[in-house]
Amino acid sequence: MNSAWLLLPVLFPLLAGAAELLLNFKSRRAREVFVAVSVLLTAAAALTLVVFAPRDSFVFLDLGGRLSFALRLDGLSMVFAAMVSVLWPIATFYSFEYMKHEGRENKFFGWFVMTFGVVIGIAFSANMLTLYLFYELLTLATLPLVMHSMDEKALYAGKKYLLYSMSGAALVFIGMVLLMRYGSSLDFVMGGVLPASRIRGNEDLMRLGYVLTFLGFGVKAAVFPLHGWLPSASVAPTPVSALLHAVAVVKAGVFAIIRLTYYSYGTELLRGSWAQNTVMLLTIVTILFGSAMALRTPHLKRRLAYSTVSNLSYILFGVTLMTTAGLTGGLLHMIFHAVIKITLFFAAGSILYKTHREYVYELEGFGRAMPVTMGAFTIASLALMGIPPLAGFTSKWSLGAAAVEAGTPLAWAGAGALIVSALLTALYLMQVVVKAYFPGKGFSRDSVKDVTDPNGLMKTPFVLLILLLLLLSLYPAPLLRLFGWIAGGIL
Amino acid sequence: MGKFLLAFLVFFPFAAALAGYLTGRRSKAGRDALVQASCLLELLAALGLAGSLGASFSWEGFCGLGLHFAADGFRLTMAVLTAFIWLLTTISSKEYFAAAHNRNRYYLFLLMTLGSTMGIFLSSDLYTTFVFFEVMSFTSWVMVAQEETPDAKKASGTYLGVAVLGGLVTLMGLFLLYSRTGTLEMSALTGLAAQTADKGPLYAAGVLILVGFGVKAGMYPLHIWLPDSYVAAPAPATALLSAVLSKAGVFGILAVSCNIFLHDAPWGDLILVLAVLTMVTGAVLAVFSANLKRTLACSSMSQIGFILVGVAMQCLLGEENALAVGGSMLHLLNHSLIKTALFMAAGVVFLNLGTFDLNRLRGFGRKKPLLMFVFLMGILGVTGVPLWNGYVSKTLIHESIVEYIAAAGLSAGQAAYYRWVEWLFLISGGLTVAYMTKIFVALFVEKNPTEQQRYDGMKRYVSRPTAVVLAVSAAILPVLGMTPGLTMDSIAGLCRGFMNGEAPAHAVEYFSLTNLKGAAISIAIGAAVYLLLVRPLLMKKQPDGSWAYLDRWPRWLNLEYGLYRPVLLKILPFLGALAARFACSLVDWAVAGLRALLFWKAPEKVEPPTDDYFGVYPERPHPHTISNSLAYSLLLFGIGLSITLLYLLFC
Repeated sequence: MNSAWLLLPVLFPLLAGAAELLLNFKSRRAREVFVAVSVLLTAAAALTLVVFAPRDSFVFLDLGGRLSFALRLDGLSMVFAAMVSVLWPIATFYSFEYMKHEGRENKFFGWFVMTFGVVIGIAFSANMLTLYLFYELLTLATLPLVMHSMDEKALYAGKKYLLYSMSGAALVFIGMVLLMRYGSSLDFVMGGVLPASRIRGNEDLMRLGYVLTFLGFGVKAAVFPLHGWLPSASVAPTPVSALLHAVAVVKAGVFAIIRLTYYSYGTELLRGSWAQNTVMLLTIVTILFGSAMALRTPHLKRRLAYSTVSNLSYILFGVTLMTTAGLTGGLLHMIFHAVIKITLFFAAGSILYKTHREYVYELEGFGRAMPVTMGAFTIASLALMGIPPLAGFTSKWSLGAAAVEAGTPLAWAGAGALIVSALLTALYLMQVVVKAYFPGKGFSRDSVKDVTDPNGLMKTPFVLLILLLLLLSLYPAPLLRLFGWIAGGIL
Repeated sequence: MGKFLLAFLVFFPFAAALAGYLTGRRSKAGRDALVQASCLLELLAALGLAGSLGASFSWEGFCGLGLHFAADGFRLTMAVLTAFIWLLTTISSKEYFAAAHNRNRYYLFLLMTLGSTMGIFLSSDLYTTFVFFEVMSFTSWVMVAQEETPDAKKASGTYLGVAVLGGLVTLMGLFLLYSRTGTLEMSALTGLAAQTADKGPLYAAGVLILVGFGVKAGMYPLHIWLPDSYVAAPAPATALLSAVLSKAGVFGILAVSCNIFLHDAPWGDLILVLAVLTMVTGAVLAVFSANLKRTLACSSMSQIGFILVGVAMQCLLGEENALAVGGSMLHLLNHSLIKTALFMAAGVVFLNLGTFDLNRLRGFGRKKPLLMFVFLMGILGVTGVPLWNGYVSKTLIHESIVEYIAAAGLSAGQAAYYRWVEWLFLISGGLTVAYMTKIFVALFVEKNPTEQQRYDGMKRYVSRPTAVVLAVSAAILPVLGMTPGLTMDSIAGLCRGFMNGEAPAHAVEYFSLTNLKGAAISIAIGAAVYLLLVRPLLMKKQPDGSWAYLDRWPRWLNLEYGLYRPVLLKILPFLGALAARFACSLVDWAVAGLRALLFWKAPEKVEPPTDDYFGVYPERPHPHTISNSLAYSLLLFGIGLSITLLYLLFC
């Protein structure tokens, strides 16, 4: 397969989204068809590319010297691209129904489709410069989505998001310049592009560069103390919270950090150094902090957002272990968390859409009233808690085993943090489940008599996601094998 | 065939649970029949497993490490026992829940719990054990919460909290063990402690794993959930909790003690201390209780202590542990059977009176021969009266302690220490006699001051199926007790392989004079405690001349409310919130400071958080939000660029 095709799933949605904005559909039906077709085509194109995997890289803009914008597909890109391509269409169909009550759908879907292209661009980036380009584009493309409702809260959240992201990008830029100065190239190569001969005497400078870049990408990955934008951004429409703030945007941050750690700076330079300890400590703090804050937060969507903060750092903790097992566990949790968290957010969205209730304590007796929604929420909760045999357990096991295998005191502390956080997760999610299913004596059915599940357009995504979750839970072996190859540098 | 049976035993109940749930939405009677038939089928399959001992079944890749099951004598016994008790309680559930809500939910989780319990008992590696252990914790939690009363909600909350906490600690232990050995296969772990030079991490792993399993077994000091949950759960569920689920915890402890720490004396000493504490605490709590179900619940805890003493003696005795192996196995079996009968009988009492309060149910059992038969058999069994089954197993455990004291190589101090253990063992046996006498006297001897007429008139107090179930469960106990050589020894022999035990040098003379002496001492202590302590101290004369039972257990002695809840729910969250608040504010203050600096304005007034999470916001959003943010971003961008430029110029 010609590698020029790599441009298709990046460019097409960008054009389609822009066209959608220009055409400004009057009829809902026409818009839905247009959006559905563009999203499905993009997803199909991306998945086809993942399957046929062209080997070469495709340079679409050469700036001369060692600077070029190029696309390439390797094992890690496949995982990320496949993940978003599977989840994007599901979220799109959910949004068709959900966005009815938010209004201004033309604007929303235009940016929604464009973001898809940008995310695929991140997945396919062949070097740091291209990644940087799409990373910046991602901030700009998602800003209108965060500020969608344009009320004071949304504007505040949007501003906060922009501020955090831009500051992060500045840090990334510093790291990139260092890489340009000392590295053999900006390309992503497993093991890194900083051979010992080129950086002799400047090791600590490079490590500093790594930590700064980590923090820069860490903004999107919501690493403490740069997580602040994420809970605020939960004012965005729920499909945005679900897809962007649990999967695409935040995992783009994680993805970038994996690229940075394993493919640019290389684990050789970092393993055992103060740089590794610093970033690992940050992830451990974030794991505990996120879970604790989630427990303290009565607003359901914000609680889930804090849960995301914590879970992203599960992945990053695996990544910062800088071992094969650690990266495998991290990737596993990346996939599992994506499916689980999108389900949880969709459930919160359904509740919001049908009843306008946002707080955990308002959900008494919802188990009977919204069986599909709460059923999906419960299964996803159990999975996130890591109750075997559901998905979260497998990833937690892989991460814990990897941490123990690494054997440093900090890694041990991380394994302990995983355990404590799992307990907190159980507390903050079971609270909701218990409220929904065991309202207790004296609960009156009248309070939920108008509450019903949403229509098929919103229910089908739940069924699909739960089936996907069960499949991943019971047969993680192929995934584990695949991630093992990626982490081992074979793919 | 064996492969198929193993898979069937574990996974069929899950399928049946779903089928039962769906049927139950159409027809209640159809659902009841389906559930009972499933339990019967499960029992037949468990019996069928006897034909294929040595079989194993694995599902590679499941959850990463895969599931592994095996069939041997011990697992067969546990599977048959589980399926049998499940069948009995399911039959009696029908009457118990005749008027209840949410029955469909109950049966759904009942069968799922059966599947997960089977998964635990048939597992051949600790990973599989753990997977099903966690599933069991959650499915059985719904059974505890079934009644949805405030008490049930509170008790089930504690149950779940402790179970989750225990499960996670165990997981940590498994991480540690796995990192040392690279396998969790039980047979591959046999004798590991003996072969390892650096035992520290191994003990750490062992203790961590012990926590999770100890929670389910009700081991001191992790027993706090047990009395309340047993009381709050519906009676058939309590029977299962006590008879089967607690044994899942014991199974885990056995799997660790008999494999990793095979014949390891320090481990044995640790288990012994915990076991004795469990045994004594449970017995004392039971004596103080004035509630039928609570007495039985605390009794369960105490009996688990007896079993664990046996487990500890296995480790201590080393190669000569035949008595301890037999004793712990048989006491496990006996306690399951006895408590099934007793809890179901207690359920019958509750169904008629709606209370477990000893003062109110006094005299209910008079002129009810079946009920009296069931209670009497259970009580004689659990107190260890010769000719009933409890006697056999208690004798074996007692003898194993005596044997260890007599063994060569103990210093005088050590011998004295273990003699104390022996006395505590006998005293706990005595307390068992005392609290069981207390409930027997209350139910069947004393008259109710107000309601006796009405109670005597209740002739149809139990339905026929339940009556049959009760009679069967009670009749087994003396049959086993009178034929120890024939029945009990062969069961013990069947189970020896799992515990890597040795065969006894010669058959045990159960009814010899020395062995009878132990039982006699216990019964004498029990009689003394009942007459000298229970009646004078725990009862009080009422104005109308009758005597009432009092609950004199001081509240501050409750570990849950005195220690765990304050620490876990008040002190730790306070510290956590303080730290989180500090951490959060730190960043927000920095941002606020930066804004003030960069926007060339007086600092805005920042008010404390009114929001639900700790965020510090300016009082009003800034009027020109967007332009400012863009400007700010560009500024930062520019700073970044110029730093880089400077760096490139001068470095």
